[in-house]
Amino acid sequence: MSIRKIVTVTEDILTEGGREVSPAARVAVVAAIVKNPWAGQGFVEDLSEGIDAHASDLGALLAPRVLEALGAPAEAYGKAAIVGLNGEIEHGSGLIHTLAFGNHFRDAANATTLLPAVEKRGPAGVIFDIPLKHITDATIRSHHQSIEIRINDAPHADEIVIALAAAAQGRPQQRLAAFSTEKN
Amino acid sequence: MMNDQRFGIRKIVYYSEEILSENGLSPAKPAVRATAAAVVTNPWLGGKPTDDLGAEVVRLAPVLARKLTDVLAANLGGVEAIQAFGKAAIVGTDGEIEHGAALIHTPFFGNLVREFFEGESIICFADDRADAGSSLVVPLWHKNAAATRTHYQTITTRVSDAPRPDEIVVVVGASTGPRPHSRIGDRLTDPIVKAETLGELVP
Repeated sequence: MSIRKIVTVTEDILTEGGREVSPAARVAVVAAIVKNPWAGQGFVEDLSEGIDAHASDLGALLAPRVLEALGAPAEAYGKAAIVGLNGEIEHGSGLIHTLAFGNHFRDAANATTLLPAVEKRGPAGVIFDIPLKHITDATIRSHHQSIEIRINDAPHADEIVIALAAAAQGRPQQRLAAFSTEKN
Repeated sequence: MMNDQRFGIRKIVYYSEEILSENGLSPAKPAVRATAAAVVTNPWLGGKPTDDLGAEVVRLAPVLARKLTDVLAANLGGVEAIQAFGKAAIVGTDGEIEHGAALIHTPFFGNLVREFFEGESIICFADDRADAGSSLVVPLWHKNAAATRTHYQTITTRVSDAPRPDEIVVVVGASTGPRPHSRIGDRLTDPIVKAETLGELVP
């Protein structure tokens, strides 16, 4: 796998709504900027060869790094594939929408739910939001959140940004009623 | 434990880039470039352009210098791993550029960043007044020898929801090495370049 760059982001929120958040709420993202395995090949009907060659390696690279950046047990998580302008969104989806990619993160985080995702095509410097949900129960409303990312020079037209996001808690100052208490 | 709320710190954002390959080749000396950004309430809102800024500088700037250099050192493998540094401020639209300058351009910030990073150079900088989510290119140069050309580099910093109009984003940048594939010589190897000796090359 040809990786150009690895980007790490952490956000610590210390106050929200004018009130202290204690302990600070942390969300971490690690992104790998990789060459699109199908660049320059025209329409490739069967993507399985490229997926088999790269998806697991990317999951294995990113999962421990994002948990290390978080520095705490993950309670919510998500993933992203941002495809450069020459590629198909299907290329990015191929790399992240497979158990071979996601299981590295699920296993490392003791998680069970599906990873929410963003798939998008854009120019270098495109802004994208990674959605995160609770790692064992996607209906836990307190943990629905997202983090915004921008990488100045990625993805190039023949690249894909593959990212994982992890949060150590739900939203800061979360105070919505539980899903189970809501009346129809 | 420092009470961050007392200093009006809303958020701290760390961003790093590790370059594994540039133009298809791995750098001989791989470097990690990073920024740490603190979002603080502008303490001078509603003041006059003639007000003295000193008191809040003394109160706030050292706290930011300590916090931001700690974040970078912890993530980059310690102070000894840091070879280049820089600083920046983005002032929200209700403030003056002078407010950002006050937080990064006095000894209460600059001297402390230099001391905490064990450097000797003057610290290069960028500043701007802008909306939340604006990007700013932060220049970095060598912490002990500013004219070291291999270490002239930049990193782009951005906080998605800051600065609000009443906030300031204060940034410290650092790098653990030179540009990838730096190969443009140095002052020691440069020829003497003057317009007259270049002759026809200078129109």
